[in-house]
Amino acid sequence: MKFRTNIEKNDKDSKELNVLIIDDNEQITKMLTTFLELNNHKCIVANDGKQGLALIQENHYDVILLDLAMPEFDGYAVIESLESKGMLKNNKIIVFTASTITQEGLDELVNRGVSSYILKPIDIDLLLSKIIQSATS
Amino acid sequence: MFALDNPINELNRLLIKYDLTPNQAKVYLYLSKIGIKTASEISKSLKIPRTETYHLLSTLQQKGIIFSVFGKPTKFNAVGIDESIAILVNNEKNRINELETGKTDIVKLWKTIPKYIGSKDKSEDNKFQTLQGRNSILVKLEQLVKDSTENILVLGTESDFKRFYHTNFIDLLKKTKSELKILTDSPNKSLHVFEELSHKYIKKLDDKNREDFCFIIKDDNEVLFFISNSEVKDMTAIWTDSKTFVTTLRSLFSLIWKKAHNLDETDLESLLGSDMTYEHRLREIEQEKMILNHLQKHFKLSEKIPGDKK
Repeated sequence: MKFRTNIEKNDKDSKELNVLIIDDNEQITKMLTTFLELNNHKCIVANDGKQGLALIQENHYDVILLDLAMPEFDGYAVIESLESKGMLKNNKIIVFTASTITQEGLDELVNRGVSSYILKPIDIDLLLSKIIQSATS
Repeated sequence: MFALDNPINELNRLLIKYDLTPNQAKVYLYLSKIGIKTASEISKSLKIPRTETYHLLSTLQQKGIIFSVFGKPTKFNAVGIDESIAILVNNEKNRINELETGKTDIVKLWKTIPKYIGSKDKSEDNKFQTLQGRNSILVKLEQLVKDSTENILVLGTESDFKRFYHTNFIDLLKKTKSELKILTDSPNKSLHVFEELSHKYIKKLDDKNREDFCFIIKDDNEVLFFISNSEVKDMTAIWTDSKTFVTTLRSLFSLIWKKAHNLDETDLESLLGSDMTYEHRLREIEQEKMILNHLQKHFKLSEKIPGDKK
């Protein structure tokens, strides 16, 4: 499925953000990319943890949306790898997950250095505001 | 003469458990079965020297399970067995209470004695203690949890926890104010120990880590690890405050903890084979729908149809 738009980009958020989405759900990554680009933000997608990790190590992103449940190299493995390299706190990672996880589990991730978390499903405007908030905090 | 047969021997053995010496038990049983006798008669019948017999009678009187009958010479008789057992049990209880009360005084007195600082024992931080049998291990485990003020880390299989089922150790774990982390193989939520613990404390050990090893670390300064725990009767553990040991096992625990998942977190395995798959997929689909609706509402979107050149 591919989305086209025939209207101009939304210019309400002037500062362009460089966002990395690490999620194995291609439908979500495609639509989120479209949505973020329409809101004047740059978006890079990694459909698995390893690819995402490699991108984080090579580039700087204003915000990283990280899914937890992914095949083979999941979100936890990405967090752990970044943590072991001392890079977790240098990156603004938002855990973006549909997994059943307790508040304590989420708090533990935040304590380890994850910026914040968003549980799917979330209203898309709220998601955008959280991304902007996280990037500018 | 009072001949000891098998039941008497057995009774004798049982009474020794109630803090009676073999001869005290012998005298008590003799009196309780034969009835009122003088010290001399008891001494002759039981072939116990007379001086010792007087001493035994005096002790038994102090314990309250025999009494003297006024007369010349003084005669003795025994309190009924039921009442005697109750008295002996009470005596033991009182003794324990006194010991407990005395603990504070002993510690207070001990602190008043200045410590000799001249030669500090370098092995102070490297004590090792071998614990054999479930009871001695249990006492140490309870002490570790009670004394903990910071954190308790436990690594063990579900079978290990089952061995201490319905013990004070498990209750103490549940009540501890220290930070508690448990790593176990397949925590069964119906198992008492896992029932009331918040799942934030429990993580699942990977299968590859489900080796026969079990340990508990207290406040990063003491560790108790099992070296044989397959059979309850042969259970052996070692307690140590060796920094090297504690640090090594602490690092091992941290490593496994980081890799392990919380009980209620979905990993791929559970996603593929449990009800979680359904819940997880539903949320993903709901998210897709929400983004799509938003895009359709706020931007003019169309789905590209293959072959459509427009």
